[in-house]
Amino acid sequence: MASSSLFRSLPISLLYCILLIPIPLYFYWGTVNQLGPDPLRSLEHKYGELGLIFLLVTLSISPLFKYAKINLVRYRRCIGLVAFYYIVSHICVYFFLDIGLSIDILLSDLQKRYYIIAGFFAFITLIPLALTSNNFALRKLNIKTWNKIHSFVYIAIILSIFHFILMSKTWTVELYFYTGITIFILILKIKSTKLYKKLSTYSNADISK
Amino acid sequence: MKILKYSDVTPHNIYLNRRKFVEALGLTSLAFVATPTTAKQSYSTSAKPNTIDEITNYNNFYEFGTSKTDPAKYAQSLTTDPWEITFEGVSQNKKKFDLAEILKGKTLQERIYRLRCVEGWSMVIPWIGFPLHDLINELEVNSNAKFVAFETVYRPTEMRGQKRATLDWPYREGLTMKEALHPLTFIATGLYGKELPNQNGAPFRLVVPWKYGFKSIKSITKISFIEEQPYTTWSSENPREYGFYSNVNPNVDHPRWSQATERVIGEGLFGERRKTELFNGYIEEVGDLYKGMDLKKYY
Repeated sequence: MASSSLFRSLPISLLYCILLIPIPLYFYWGTVNQLGPDPLRSLEHKYGELGLIFLLVTLSISPLFKYAKINLVRYRRCIGLVAFYYIVSHICVYFFLDIGLSIDILLSDLQKRYYIIAGFFAFITLIPLALTSNNFALRKLNIKTWNKIHSFVYIAIILSIFHFILMSKTWTVELYFYTGITIFILILKIKSTKLYKKLSTYSNADISK
Repeated sequence: MKILKYSDVTPHNIYLNRRKFVEALGLTSLAFVATPTTAKQSYSTSAKPNTIDEITNYNNFYEFGTSKTDPAKYAQSLTTDPWEITFEGVSQNKKKFDLAEILKGKTLQERIYRLRCVEGWSMVIPWIGFPLHDLINELEVNSNAKFVAFETVYRPTEMRGQKRATLDWPYREGLTMKEALHPLTFIATGLYGKELPNQNGAPFRLVVPWKYGFKSIKSITKISFIEEQPYTTWSSENPREYGFYSNVNPNVDHPRWSQATERVIGEGLFGERRKTELFNGYIEEVGDLYKGMDLKKYY
């Protein structure tokens, strides 16, 4: 398993650098007019889409380990935080460039526009996860509490997908793709919950009777 | 990203055919190219037009894909010559016309119009073409016609986006008879003094500058004059979000986003938003069409 040993030897700090490079790079391309005729929308969408992708990658790490025995667990914190930084960048483009720092537009968007409400709450949900993604928090917090906080990521991914669906005009290929992956990950998660296992043992018991 | 040039995105034979096309209009190609820059029409805006690269690389033309860059990539596969347009709701015997027959004897002119997309962005485009009423006046239109229905060509083999049911193909749009006869309502066959690129709706498209862009249907093959309000694609897809009229109106928001302002394409990453104007700034010209109409109800 050459690839697996490559992954193992990759220092985390280098991984951060590689994964975060697109943030300044896309911004630079935007300023020199290399992002097409509508650089603002392009930058906003790129950051948002990459945030979603890294969030989905973070969520795939535990099923990958469980079902495919691919162990990327030590990179999970890094990738999760990278997702968060992309989402912060996405929101910065929205707030500073798209609506031009207008609190009025922000407040009216938060009252009227469902996709912005969904996106906003997805971001809020992720803040405690980002704040506790460090060794200090791990040491200070009870592991059960820490796990509970980090299970919010499933709420965040559902809200993020709704954010995407609600802002789209039609069902594009990308939309089907990301929604499909999200549903798949959620199904795997539900199957691994204690409640599901309990229920399935009950129903199995019923059948065997 | 590769920025495509006009010559890159136009099939070579069509590009060369331009000369023939121009001759068919009874113009020398020199005069045709020269006209636009000198003779500005009174209906044109004085705003600075977007560049040809912007206009031809940022298109909503779902027949070629849902991304704005798809039309520039894939629209070359559409055969625009020969091109036939069928008319319904006319009493004359001949109902099918070749595009060349329609264009024969028509004086082409330039119209620099603002285009405001329902998505909240805008451009300024120097179209070449003629007012739709020039065409309507040549036809024997049924006297009871109150609406005009337009249909885009349906050719999934040439329009890859039509292979998926993104929208209920073929794309259809419509206007009231009064709107269709308005002098601002325009048929574009060219852009920037040249033949219309495929991604912009070649060879024959509608331009209604006071309505959201999706009303300005592209690559038209059928025009019907009818009594009832026609089926229109986006308003049927989502009646709550897209109305039959779809006049540009900063005071009536799209249910999911504000229409009060617009991003001006070409202004770059730090460009300021522009305040959207009622009827996209053409209120003097078209305000009378909607006098007394509740624009919140008939959005």
